[in-house]
Amino acid sequence: MPLLFPLLVSAALFGIGLYGVLARRNAVLALIGVELMLNAVNLQLVAYDAWLGETKHTGQVLTLYVIALAAAEIGLGLAIVLALFRARGTVDVDDVEKVP
Amino acid sequence: MRGPGSLLRGRRWPYVALTGLVSGAVAWWAIPHLGTRTRLTVTYQGNDIGPVLPTLSLDTLVSSASAQVMLLAAAVAFLVQLYSTKYMGADPRYRSYALLIVLFLVAMVAVVGTDNLFVLLIGWEVMGVCSYLLIGHHWERDDAQSGAAKALLVTRAADIGLLLAILVLGQTYGTYSISQILVASGLEQPRNATLIGLLLIVAVVGKSAQVPLQTWLPDAMPGPTPITALIHAATMVAAGVFLLARLLPVYATSEVAMTTLAVVAAVTMLSAALFALVQSDLKRALAWSTVSQLAIMFAAVAVADGTAAIDHLVSHGVFKALLFLGCGVVMHTVGSSALADMGGLRKAIPVTFWTMTIGFLALAGIAPTVGFFSKDGVLEAVHHDGGARGDLLLAVVTLTSVLTAAYATRLWALTFLGTPKERHRTAKALAWPLLVLALAVFALSIGKPLHLGIAALSTGASVVGILFGWLLRKRTFESRVSRILTHELGFDRIFSGLIPALARLKARTVVWVDDTLVDSYPRGSAHSALGAGWLMDRFQSAKAQLYATAIAVGSIALVAYALWVGR
Repeated sequence: MPLLFPLLVSAALFGIGLYGVLARRNAVLALIGVELMLNAVNLQLVAYDAWLGETKHTGQVLTLYVIALAAAEIGLGLAIVLALFRARGTVDVDDVEKVP
Repeated sequence: MRGPGSLLRGRRWPYVALTGLVSGAVAWWAIPHLGTRTRLTVTYQGNDIGPVLPTLSLDTLVSSASAQVMLLAAAVAFLVQLYSTKYMGADPRYRSYALLIVLFLVAMVAVVGTDNLFVLLIGWEVMGVCSYLLIGHHWERDDAQSGAAKALLVTRAADIGLLLAILVLGQTYGTYSISQILVASGLEQPRNATLIGLLLIVAVVGKSAQVPLQTWLPDAMPGPTPITALIHAATMVAAGVFLLARLLPVYATSEVAMTTLAVVAAVTMLSAALFALVQSDLKRALAWSTVSQLAIMFAAVAVADGTAAIDHLVSHGVFKALLFLGCGVVMHTVGSSALADMGGLRKAIPVTFWTMTIGFLALAGIAPTVGFFSKDGVLEAVHHDGGARGDLLLAVVTLTSVLTAAYATRLWALTFLGTPKERHRTAKALAWPLLVLALAVFALSIGKPLHLGIAALSTGASVVGILFGWLLRKRTFESRVSRILTHELGFDRIFSGLIPALARLKARTVVWVDDTLVDSYPRGSAHSALGAGWLMDRFQSAKAQLYATAIAVGSIALVAYALWVGR
């Protein structure tokens, strides 16, 4: 399989994720955007690992790190969103800047 | 006066003694120079060294003219000091008053006797300060304060002319020695004559109260009357005439300067004589008379006859000192200087009456007083000149003679004739300074040359003037035309309107410069700080997504740049 396909998918994922982060007003969806971007990176790491024929598979190892990191990050992020919802009754990111 | 008064009286003689000492020393110095023709023995070194730095030296240059003026100043100062022991003796500030008279004399001698232009300038300025302090002697009075300030401001403003004239002389001739300058101007065509002449005229117009700076002298009348006799007859205002006469060779070749001087003199003598004629105040009328007489001296200078000018200066110094001292007695007797309060004083103060009569005769120019002979000299000088300038001055001086005799007669009649009015005090001032001066009015006329035709003209003018004055003596000047004269042509109003207007204009300009130009820097820095702050504030919007967008765009830009560079 040529390298181009996973890279295109990765770029698409990253773009969608970036859009989600920058444009969605819902905090949960913004977090999902972050996940998408992380996974776009993961996809690239795996693709390059396979393409370069790494014997030590550093790309795959790094991917595992990123997955662990993403899990931690989303846990923390969702906790913040939950706290925000409890405090404000909304998870709209535009409202966060306003001091209650 | 007993008790504290007698103690004060006991303390007055040291000042008289001091003045006597100084006057004696001046006289001892001056008398050998009288009547001798000064031979300038210095050799002019030429001006090849270029600009010179101001130098001070104690060299002296005493000509016959300086000796005369010195003797006049010393004599009048001594007599004034003597007269003041009674007139001002009980004054609480007698000490400073008496010492200032001595300082005044010393400053005048410095101006008259020095060979160095900067010493002359120092003496000139010291006289200005002394006159300020003495005019303002009764500083509890508003008119004394304002008169003193006016005298100082006007003369100081004009003194800039003297300073500039001295600097130009120094740069032109390469020396500040008067004798060297006089020798140099005799050797060759004087250089910068017009500029130097005009600057000197500016200085002298202020000091000697000529048009258009004449208004300070009448306003200096709140000063003690003996001081008026000293300053405004024999010393300060005379310094201007002396200066022009001494430096005559330097600018005499300049038509512009001489014509300017002639015009100033002509306008001043006529207008001041008219003002003196309509005054309702004896002392102020005498002050205007001084202005007018000084202008007659300048007329002699304007036809390049310094000797006639100095002669008239000395003669005027004597009879005007006499008149002012007599005026002091009159004021003391009547308790004011308004002519309306006077009349019939002939019997009350006979010595003053007779001596002042002699003074008025000299002022009017009646033979055989010294005033007649010195005015004769001036008239002869302007007649001898022959040119248009001389003819104009001859006509104006003759007309002024008529007016002078008229106001002298009017003042004399209003003061001494008529019915006596109620008296509050009796005269206490010493009589014999008056007698000495009255004697001098005749003594000085001995041996003076006489020009018959001119003498007839001047006597005729005086007689006409006396008749005119006699007819005018009852008149009070209330009509519209004479009110212009009693308001002294509104010079004061012009100055008090013009100078504040100029000051306001200047202030507005300064404010504009400060507000618009200078303040634009601090204001600009404040505005740029505000603008920078506003810009920073735009970035700190607390919108997380905006920050993230900035990060994303920035990263993309960086990557694009790196790719473009690494191509």
